[in-house]
Amino acid sequence: MKPVLTLESLSLAQGDRLVLENVDGEFTSGSITALVGPNGAGKSTLVQGIMGVLKPIRGRVHCAVPNARRAWLPQQLALDLSFPMSVEELVMSGCWPTHGSFRRYGGTEYRRGQAIMHRLGLQAFEHRPLGELSGGQRQRALLGRTLMQEAQLLLLDEPFANVDAATVDILIDVLRDMAREGVSIIIVLHDHEQLMRLADRVLLLDRGHGTWTTPAALGTASPTAGALFSTAPASMTGEQAS
Amino acid sequence: MIDWLISPLVDFGFMRRALVAGLALSLVAPPLGVFLTLRGMSLVGDAMAHAVLPGVAVGFLLAGFSLPAMSAGGLIAGLLVAGLAGGVSRLTGHREDSAIASFYLISLAAGVMLISLRGSSVDLTHVLFGSILAVDSTALWLIVGVSSATLLILAAIFRILVVECLDPLFLRGQGVRGGAVHGLFLGLMVLNLTAGFQTLGTLMAVGLMMLPATAARFWSKRLEGLMGLAIAIGMLSSVGGLLLSYHAGLPSGPCIILLAGGIYLLSALFGRYHSVFARWRRRVQPMLPPDAHG
Repeated sequence: MKPVLTLESLSLAQGDRLVLENVDGEFTSGSITALVGPNGAGKSTLVQGIMGVLKPIRGRVHCAVPNARRAWLPQQLALDLSFPMSVEELVMSGCWPTHGSFRRYGGTEYRRGQAIMHRLGLQAFEHRPLGELSGGQRQRALLGRTLMQEAQLLLLDEPFANVDAATVDILIDVLRDMAREGVSIIIVLHDHEQLMRLADRVLLLDRGHGTWTTPAALGTASPTAGALFSTAPASMTGEQAS
Repeated sequence: MIDWLISPLVDFGFMRRALVAGLALSLVAPPLGVFLTLRGMSLVGDAMAHAVLPGVAVGFLLAGFSLPAMSAGGLIAGLLVAGLAGGVSRLTGHREDSAIASFYLISLAAGVMLISLRGSSVDLTHVLFGSILAVDSTALWLIVGVSSATLLILAAIFRILVVECLDPLFLRGQGVRGGAVHGLFLGLMVLNLTAGFQTLGTLMAVGLMMLPATAARFWSKRLEGLMGLAIAIGMLSSVGGLLLSYHAGLPSGPCIILLAGGIYLLSALFGRYHSVFARWRRRVQPMLPPDAHG
């Protein structure tokens, strides 16, 4: 299958610090790839590089998916969730690729939005302001936006942090469905059990280098597997009832 | 009572012009203020109001008390400060608000210096605090023109502003340049501050932008609600302040802004959300059952 995203000896730096060196890889349509590695290994840096926010210092990122169909679910902490916007408005903003700044949302879009919110178990919260949602409900609303966007490449940065167990189950189901429909998914993960449930392949980042492996191999082969998963801050693991 | 409200407007052309100017400004300045508060830039408006001053002074020095000249000067100075601050923050990596703070102080000092070199202290008061009596037809056309243009541009970039406030990276991923939108927004703000200085003065003009917006946050949690309420509060303050100023012989700018300030204080005390009263009432209520996750 033709890859939708190819990394060719990619090297990325943050400021004058080299974070990743010579990372190679191919991501096919419908695959779910977990990015794993200790804190500071460059997982978020790689996500930024793939999204084109960070320019490579060597090598290149070749992406067959147009910008408008690449979606990025950032860590929740990066968002201003006190903004007076409802769940429905957030989900509908995923219409950007087709509607941009000016076009009015029509009945078709609203019905699609309703279906998406229903699928994510958000139908009771559609008019709730984001600021009044729990971490899990917000994460579902954010995923709703990427569904609305009809993303073909989806990057998620620690989507299960600060999220309840019920939401983790819903998110994993929806992500699996998306992959089945051909979306290529790249996901930064910390939890081995979630990785086993979700990922097809693993890109292990450590000390600036990338190694490809499988979820099963990661769990059994390496005696130090536990050390490869960076420990999330206590505040996040507290609610991560998985 | 009705006579108190109506007769100044019927009898005097300058009051009618001032009323239209006030209503036009109240239609656009408060929505800009709402976005400023939501973007965490409440004090940037204040800084920009100071930054406008040297341009107004240069306009005054070159052309005397001419509103178009002073407005053009103010606009140039404001955009210059916004541009320089944006440039410095991008080149040095420092936060933009600290750069704006630095440039507006330089600008303010230069403005006061320029005015004191040439004019008397009366002129300075006029520029700082405005005078509703001086709104002639030229000024009115300028204010109404600026308001209309702002309204149209704001409508055009509304969705971008909303989406960008929440998640700038989403738009960046969609190929929208956040910097350009931010610059346009700052430009609109400067434009409205310069339009407002005639009636309110450079320092008070920002009051009509911020106070209705901050007061509205105690009453609504929805963007449309915030905008509508802020506009209503702005209009009420403008009309009320004008009449108060006329009947009591007080300067118009401070009257309008003090009225808006009064509404803000009342909202902070008795508003529906997060006000002192709302918090007090919430504390004595029993706790709600824990929210069930759907």
